Amino acid sequence: MSQLVLETKDLSRTYKLAKGASGSGKALRHALIDLNISVNAGDRLGIVGESGSGKTTLVRLLLGLDTPTSGSVEFKGQTLVAGKMPWLRKEVQIVFQDPRSSLDPRMKISEIIREPLVCLGINEDHDARINEVLQSVGLEQAMRERYPHELSGGQRQRVAIARALAPRPTVLIADEPVSALDVLVRDQILELIAELTKNLGITLILVSHDLSVIARLCDRVIVMKDGVVVESGNTRQVFDNPTHAFTRALIAAIPRLPQSL
Amino acid sequence: MIRKAMKGNVSLIAGSIMVSITFALLILSFIWTPYDPLAVNADDSFAGISMRHILGADKIGRDILSQIIVGSRVTLFVAALAVTIAMTLGVSAGIIIAIASRKYQSPMIYAVNIALAFPAALLAIILAAIYGASTITAVAAIGLATAAAVAQVTRRTAHGILASDYVLAAHASGASTWRIIRKHVMPNLRASLLIQASAVVSVSVLAESSLSYLGLGTPPPAPSWGRMLAGSQQYLFVNPLLAIWPGIAIVIVVLGFNLVGDGVREVFDPTLRRIDS
Amino acid sequence: MSLLEVNNLTIAFGNKKVVDSISFSLDKGARIGLIGESGSGKSMTSLAIMGLLPDTATVSGSITFEGQELIGLSDRDHSRLRGNRIGMVFQEPLTALNPLMRIGKQIAGPLMIHKGQSLKAGLENALELCIKVGLPDPDRILRAYPHQLSGGQRQRIGLAIALACDPALLIADEPTTALDVTVQQEVLNLINTLVQEERSSLVFVTHDLPVVAAMTENVAVMQLGKIVENASVATLFHAPAHEYSRRLISAARSAEDSFSGKGAHQ
Repeated sequence: MSQLVLETKDLSRTYKLAKGASGSGKALRHALIDLNISVNAGDRLGIVGESGSGKTTLVRLLLGLDTPTSGSVEFKGQTLVAGKMPWLRKEVQIVFQDPRSSLDPRMKISEIIREPLVCLGINEDHDARINEVLQSVGLEQAMRERYPHELSGGQRQRVAIARALAPRPTVLIADEPVSALDVLVRDQILELIAELTKNLGITLILVSHDLSVIARLCDRVIVMKDGVVVESGNTRQVFDNPTHAFTRALIAAIPRLPQSL
Repeated sequence: MIRKAMKGNVSLIAGSIMVSITFALLILSFIWTPYDPLAVNADDSFAGISMRHILGADKIGRDILSQIIVGSRVTLFVAALAVTIAMTLGVSAGIIIAIASRKYQSPMIYAVNIALAFPAALLAIILAAIYGASTITAVAAIGLATAAAVAQVTRRTAHGILASDYVLAAHASGASTWRIIRKHVMPNLRASLLIQASAVVSVSVLAESSLSYLGLGTPPPAPSWGRMLAGSQQYLFVNPLLAIWPGIAIVIVVLGFNLVGDGVREVFDPTLRRIDS
Repeated sequence: MSLLEVNNLTIAFGNKKVVDSISFSLDKGARIGLIGESGSGKSMTSLAIMGLLPDTATVSGSITFEGQELIGLSDRDHSRLRGNRIGMVFQEPLTALNPLMRIGKQIAGPLMIHKGQSLKAGLENALELCIKVGLPDPDRILRAYPHQLSGGQRQRIGLAIALACDPALLIADEPTTALDVTVQQEVLNLINTLVQEERSSLVFVTHDLPVVAAMTENVAVMQLGKIVENASVATLFHAPAHEYSRRLISAARSAEDSFSGKGAHQ
């Protein structure tokens, strides 16, 4: 019996715009509208959407870094209140899109990975944990003393993954984890995420605009457009037999390679 | 690391030399001066460059070189104190405004803009009117006036840092606001602060000279380069040396600190900028 | 004679070569893709053609365009070609446009500079260009500022500006990388149509293999500043000669297989 880990109930988030583009006074932007999503332990869920779909807003709400306008986000039955749940940081972690900007350029790799351990008061030998987690992402211990600008894009993303996994979270959210990486490096990182989340029993939520990335890693997918879920279900089913027009447009828009003879 | 920074960095090398000269004068002022700068000697009135007075003497026979040497004390004292006040107040204010919630930010930014409108001279006049002109009022005026500019630049830079992905990642790692300021904002502000500090120093030196010139700074008889300039005005065509020496001294200090600031910027920029693809 | 000929082009910063003696040529009306990862030198090559490299770069070799040697050309002479005979579309539509200038004026710009048109005439032509690039409600767009438009619209405007003076050569540097995938397809189709209509030549720089296959006839694969393979699309995808090309194609096929469920990782 799968245990419910994260759940959103009629989740909505609306932003007030300072001035409408046409200058007509206060306008509202509905980033998320009555969203109902559930994520079970061990799930590998993909979230597909273009810019303006609301996926970024959803991620912030799932991380407890933002407050819903209405509705709620629940983690293992507990309603999230932004800023009032420091323990949530330990349970839900994130890997960001751009490894160049998600690592503090002035901190050494070991300090970067140490940060969540210190802030969350993790009760184990920090240095041992840093070494452990560096090894699990395929980086040598010598990396500890380097700075982000000395590393390649792929290596930086590995550090970002190591940082996210250091506090042993229950859920890992990966927001476009390979979009900023070179094509030849992408597969390695995806493989790493797949392996680690599987071996450690971590629930994975993968946000991406790239359907092949989603197909590679996720069993379930939800497709978002303009703040609502337009389609959801088993990944293979959704991609092979899309029911919603938008999903079909997304699939049709993917540039294809010339077929081999 | 300092040696590496100096390599090929003309600004930093030239600036450092000039600043070192100034500090050498300062140290010298406590050890030895050719004459007591306050010693009056009617016989040497308006003496030109000679064996007795290397840089000449002023109207009442005081040795110019000695005045220049001792005058460095006031200049550097004011600069050091003003920089301390300006940076402490300005950086704190800048960071506080940057992390404040949107509701409070607007009025605070407004206040900084108003403060920016007050030139140091105006503040100095106000303070002098209340407390009487002195080195301290000059320091306070300059410090407060420049703090506003520092606050503005700091706020903008800090805002940029706070909006970055790695600060968001720190939040996601459970870091408190205080920790983010300490560990992420301050280190990344370092380059900007160093450059600002060198600018503030140059401004302070010039401001102190101006204030002394106007009679709003260090009162006589303590030697001050600015007042030496003021005093030399009426004798400009009789003995231009009286104006030239303090003028050169001021230029060396201000230019020196400015060049150091430029040199520091050169050091930090290439590290941060990488050429990809 | 080819429209564009690059011979032993080398671009270096200090003693680091970012482009190492590359050569390729482009006929009138032909299209070539420059494909490679970051650090391959593909963007530097396109900037060199435009004469937009930073001052710190040392360039040697030869780039001839319409018979004229571009390397060593004065900035003044080069700027007569930019936006006139050679148009360029950049990756990030938001930063490639002046945020403080209305769209109409930005499109009219090259026309006023190179064809000596008045602002009024330029704006009339700008209107036509907007229609040509498929922008709805062109009157409103001409009066708008860049931040009021979507990424796809901005990129169409970027194209309008690049094509305003009917250039013989269009250089597109990752023009769709920053766009959503549905918009990407529209913009690529647009580039395709326009290039065909005007019979311009195209240099298309990207890291995306399927895109380069759809947009060009010949592909130069770049790695670490060198061209490791230069072949027609058909040859490249069916019988790649170089190891690096094979790796790129294999990664792209693997991604496609993942998507269609044929992958080994399911």
